[in-house]
Amino acid sequence: MRSYFSLVIATLAINTDLFAAEAGMPQLDPKYWASQAFWLILIFTILYISIAKFYLPKIKSNLDDREKKIKDDVDDANKFKELSETKFREYEKMLADAKKEVIKIQIDSKKILDKDIQSKKEVMEKEIENEISKAQKEIDELKRNSLNDIQNISENIASSIIENISGDTLNESSVKAAVEDVSKKNIGKYL
Amino acid sequence: MASNPMQQFSVHKIGPEIKIAGIDLSFTNASLFMVISASFILLFLFLGTREKKIIPDKVQLIAEMFYTFVAKMISDTAGSKAKPYFPFIFSLFMFVLFCNMVGMLPYSFTVTSHIIVTLIMALFIFIAVTIIGFAKHGFKYLSIFVPSGVPAILLPLITVIEIISYLSRPVSLSVRLFANMMAGHTMLKVFGGFVISLGLLGGWLPLSFSVALTGLEILVAFLQAYVFAILTCIYLNDALNLHH
Repeated sequence: MRSYFSLVIATLAINTDLFAAEAGMPQLDPKYWASQAFWLILIFTILYISIAKFYLPKIKSNLDDREKKIKDDVDDANKFKELSETKFREYEKMLADAKKEVIKIQIDSKKILDKDIQSKKEVMEKEIENEISKAQKEIDELKRNSLNDIQNISENIASSIIENISGDTLNESSVKAAVEDVSKKNIGKYL
Repeated sequence: MASNPMQQFSVHKIGPEIKIAGIDLSFTNASLFMVISASFILLFLFLGTREKKIIPDKVQLIAEMFYTFVAKMISDTAGSKAKPYFPFIFSLFMFVLFCNMVGMLPYSFTVTSHIIVTLIMALFIFIAVTIIGFAKHGFKYLSIFVPSGVPAILLPLITVIEIISYLSRPVSLSVRLFANMMAGHTMLKVFGGFVISLGLLGGWLPLSFSVALTGLEILVAFLQAYVFAILTCIYLNDALNLHH
């Protein structure tokens, strides 16, 4: 660093004309003051007129147009937003109504169905009961009849067996009594 | 001679000598760079307003940003009454800004580094603002020198100070811009001269200074244009809205 500064000082010592400039400021030489004033006023006037009359109104109108366009677009967007919101609300209302309707229909139809099923079931049950009791009666009848038949057949069989074995014709009433006796003992097994 | 840091500010004639009523009005390099700066502004605005697009392209966006920037500056400092003066302040801001920026190009000339240029602009603003003040408020405009709420003993002193401060407005306005531009460009030149004289061995340090200073000078170029315009707005505000 020290060698750098000595280099700087040595160079400045050689180039003394670097500071000779302080001798004069060209700005303070009045030779061209009038010229500079004249050209400044001329050029600035031209610049001012062309900017004021031509460019600024153009920029301003463009900025205004853009602002107006943005405002219009935002207004439109807000309008559409409101519209869509009302439509959406309508749609939601419709949806809710439809849901209610569906539930009502469901409940109603369920009730009707239940009722229908209940009545049909009752009718069916009654019919079935009737059928069962009728069948029961028939069975009882058949049983009773079959008992008498069995007794008669048994008597016949018994008398014919006795006839074949002993060759005697037995008293019909005694055979009947014997068969009745046997069947009374065993009837409980079948009835 | 090339290493003279003030060389860059010298004005010389271009083309034939123009003399009107014994006054030398020749076209100079200063005039040339005024024309170049003004042409850049007009070209920029032409490109920025060529197509009216709802979604702007880059140049149009920048032109509109300048417009809103200056418009906001005026409405913030001088209120809505200053609207008729918007084109003037916009032109002034653009002119000073472009002169400063064109001056940052190598081998170019900085128009605003001449006291006569800045003084004429400042004097014009000063005289115009004073005329506007008297036109709007008549002799009541003089009340700008008499602030309210000051003790009676201090009033003469304050009034004298106010008058001096009012009269020094054109000086401070012009010298601020001129001195900033001149100092910055002189510094750049001096450090540039160091780079050459110290050579490959020692030139790196001043070179890095030069690079940093260039960035700073671009900032100053913008800032001084902004300050010039905003001070104009403040002076205009004093003339349009009497606060005292």
